[in-house]
Amino acid sequence: MAEFLTLVFRTFMSESGLKKTTTPGPPPPTAAGSTLLVGHRGTSRSVLLLAAVTAASELGTRLCRPDNSTHLNYFLCLQKIVFSYPRTVEELLQQVARLHESTNTTPPALIVVDGLEDFLCAPGRHPGEQSRAAHLSALLCDTATFFTQVLKQRSSSSAPCRILASFYSDTDPGQADGEASATDAMLNVLDRYFQVRCTLDQDRGYEAAAAGLQELWHVYLSGRGVTDDKLGGSQEWQLLVFPNGSVEFKLV
Amino acid sequence: MLWSQPIGWTSRRHPGTHGGKMRSFLPPVAEQVFRDIQKTYEETTQIPDDLLIALKFVFGPCALQALDLVDQRSVTCLSSPSGREAFQVMGGSGRLYTCFVSCHYCPCPAFAYTVLRRNEGLLCKHILAVYLCQAMGVTQQESVSDQQMSTLLCGSADADA
Repeated sequence: MAEFLTLVFRTFMSESGLKKTTTPGPPPPTAAGSTLLVGHRGTSRSVLLLAAVTAASELGTRLCRPDNSTHLNYFLCLQKIVFSYPRTVEELLQQVARLHESTNTTPPALIVVDGLEDFLCAPGRHPGEQSRAAHLSALLCDTATFFTQVLKQRSSSSAPCRILASFYSDTDPGQADGEASATDAMLNVLDRYFQVRCTLDQDRGYEAAAAGLQELWHVYLSGRGVTDDKLGGSQEWQLLVFPNGSVEFKLV
Repeated sequence: MLWSQPIGWTSRRHPGTHGGKMRSFLPPVAEQVFRDIQKTYEETTQIPDDLLIALKFVFGPCALQALDLVDQRSVTCLSSPSGREAFQVMGGSGRLYTCFVSCHYCPCPAFAYTVLRRNEGLLCKHILAVYLCQAMGVTQQESVSDQQMSTLLCGSADADA
């Protein structure tokens, strides 16, 4: 799934960034089938997720998108997307677990879950949160593995089924307070199952203002699914948001 | 000391989407132990001392508990008409735990505490028992409906058990 994100990054790259790139265009397909998008809750929610889903859809991927937000109502490719709106983690687990039952239809090649924190992080501390996060993550990964097998059986040239999920929090990773440590513990569990983590970190220094930017974000790709060969050696990007609302990605 | 298959056991390897095999997410040393167990067990239907010691060294105290589960034929590979598969392990208390084929997850308290929370173990005795049963070819097989499989995967059956 990380290749769709890097495709989005490259599509919205600055011209100066493109000149520095030795291999323009989409990177080669990777085996990194599950990607977790991590950011502060203040992040312009779902922008990257939306962009990556659009990229995946334009590349002919069939989607299943359990979601409890209402931000994605302007897709040009709605007919390829199945939306569902579970209200609780139990409903989400049931919907994902039932996906294999409808194998007579075209199996999904991408499953997107936006806002894992809404399902996994209830206010206060709950001893079963980590286990529940592991269960949901493992079910998503196992479901993707199953559909990858089904897709391969139907066509040997099929791309694997991928998972893209997002997790937002109010805290910065590494803080010492209890809420931050609970977030870190949750991310540690999610990292066990998602091969690539895409972390969005806002730069609150003077650099952004000095450059005339409205916002500057650092985008880090990490995890066992990221290798130099697979992602063209690019593991860090910058997302530049201009005062007129336009965005641009820059390879670091 | 040798650990051998009780008389009357039937070794069965199962066809299916994954061939009833849990995908390994273990360090190379652990994978080598399972390969050695598989090879030795196919030839002698026994697990020699050195491999038992290696198993205990790599996985700690849950190795013996997992061998007990293998001894009790506690691991079943469930498959449904859709081709979906999962492992079900009966714990010592009789409770059933559903484990996934492609990644490590078990709803037992030991997995939640030792593996997820404290990060002190690679896996729990139930997942280890799945690996051992695969290596020894003693996994049981059972067919369930697609709806039953969905219930097991989402954990409703575990919660009800």
